[in-house]
Amino acid sequence: MKEFLKTVFLVDLLQGLWVTFRNQKPSLVYTEEYPRERPPVAERYRGAPRLNVHPESNETLCIACNLCALACPEHLIVVAAERNEETRRKELTTFTYDVSRCMFCGLCEDACPVDALELTQDFELAYFTREGAIWDRQMLEEGPLPTQYKF
Amino acid sequence: MFRMAEILSNPYVQPLIATLLIIALFPLVAGYIVLAERKVLADLQVRLGPMRVGPYGFLQPLADAFKLLLKEDIIPAAADKWLFWGAPVLSTFTALTSFAVLPLSDKFYVADVNIGMLFVLAMSSIGILGLILGGWSSNSKYSLLGSLRSAAQMVSYEVPLGFAVVTGLMVAGTLSMQGIVNAQLEKGVWIAFSNYGLMLVPTVLFLIAGVAETNRAPFDLPEAESEIVAGFHTEYSGFRFALYFLAEYAAIFVISSLAVTLFFGGWLRPFPNVAFLEMPLNTVFPALLFGAIGAGCAVGVTRLMLPEQKGVLAVVALAMFALAAMFLVPALNPFIRGLFWFLFKVAIIVYTFIWYRGTFPRFRYDQLMDLGWRYLIPISMGSLIVNGIVLLATT
Repeated sequence: MKEFLKTVFLVDLLQGLWVTFRNQKPSLVYTEEYPRERPPVAERYRGAPRLNVHPESNETLCIACNLCALACPEHLIVVAAERNEETRRKELTTFTYDVSRCMFCGLCEDACPVDALELTQDFELAYFTREGAIWDRQMLEEGPLPTQYKF
Repeated sequence: MFRMAEILSNPYVQPLIATLLIIALFPLVAGYIVLAERKVLADLQVRLGPMRVGPYGFLQPLADAFKLLLKEDIIPAAADKWLFWGAPVLSTFTALTSFAVLPLSDKFYVADVNIGMLFVLAMSSIGILGLILGGWSSNSKYSLLGSLRSAAQMVSYEVPLGFAVVTGLMVAGTLSMQGIVNAQLEKGVWIAFSNYGLMLVPTVLFLIAGVAETNRAPFDLPEAESEIVAGFHTEYSGFRFALYFLAEYAAIFVISSLAVTLFFGGWLRPFPNVAFLEMPLNTVFPALLFGAIGAGCAVGVTRLMLPEQKGVLAVVALAMFALAAMFLVPALNPFIRGLFWFLFKVAIIVYTFIWYRGTFPRFRYDQLMDLGWRYLIPISMGSLIVNGIVLLATT
């Protein structure tokens, strides 16, 4: 009898309507408006590579030891250096990193003895040309600069 | 040399103005019903909906309309060209023709025909022919399946819809749309609540069959996108698709107006005969409503960042405040309060249509037939007989 009355007065349908109605609160909205707000990524996320510089002198920390290039399974890092005859130290001349072939395994940052090479949490790595994926030293030091929208 | 008063007193002028206004404004209204549908549906599904075009997506209908008009117009090679061309026109034409008899208010309507209700029902039945022809002429299996389903649905759901309308007409005692509203004014109660509450049964039946009649979820089998791509309008694109869209939303508006006129008192305010509610319901309520919407928009202006979007929303807020002020002017109030109450009730019913779409899953084909033939038709016939007997016994 109770079931019959429930069917006649469409109780189940009304319950369903109430469920959807009470879920209309703006605070429950799950959508993230992407270019306006960027999601926080996990702490251990491995994204765009960065070549760190000394915070005060602005000189590169890289000692051109080539260990990252050796560690890389894809051989996508090219390090070139020349010896400074006065100080007898190797000085970095070029450092290229092919992001298009990178699988973000992080072996290079583990191999770096001076914590110069690091995979950051930046995830916007899109580029317009294939050459754009090959990052040079300047790009690696500055990091990717995605367009900022103001709305 | 004609004088202004002579022109205005001509019996054809007022309907002509009303017709032009409706034809000019309804595509815009339909666009904003679509926007409301997308926003409400997004709310129900904890999404945001359109947010980019204009403030909070307010100008999205304009962008959509331009997109549809600029799209390539494709007619399939094997299609029946003339029917393919004519079917969306037929749908739109019939849907917009029904507006001719809708009693939008006591002052603003095109015509008050003495068979108004019959006219609307006839037009909405012919409108479904547009879907059937469109599906058949595109020469596509999905379109044909969609139009077959639409034909079956029309046959099963016109009947309970008709019985529910007849029950309402029995209580009103007239077929004229203005007459129905005036009958409710004399009774002092909306037809939905008259006859000792027995009229609630045909009211609910009408709302269910009306959803089926306009092919809306959960009865949207003719265009079930998860089964038959897009049903009858699979092959349509661009402007023809826009016409079908316009026809669908016009049909929703007409069915909602029918429900409002026949069961929920048309342009009457709630409790039309209670004198002390006159002031609060006809002046204070609309003014407060539009004022609150305007205030909401004003708060939204402060949260936006782009100056263009701020400007658009500020204009909307000012328009809302102006509307609120119009209700406070005693000379203007009698002209707009009927329209306000009619459109307010229609808006509530359109909202419930969207609400159904966000809540109920689509019926299977046999479930649809089962519900129509085994439940709705017998119940509608029964309610007709019972209401008739009660009506006879009490008068």
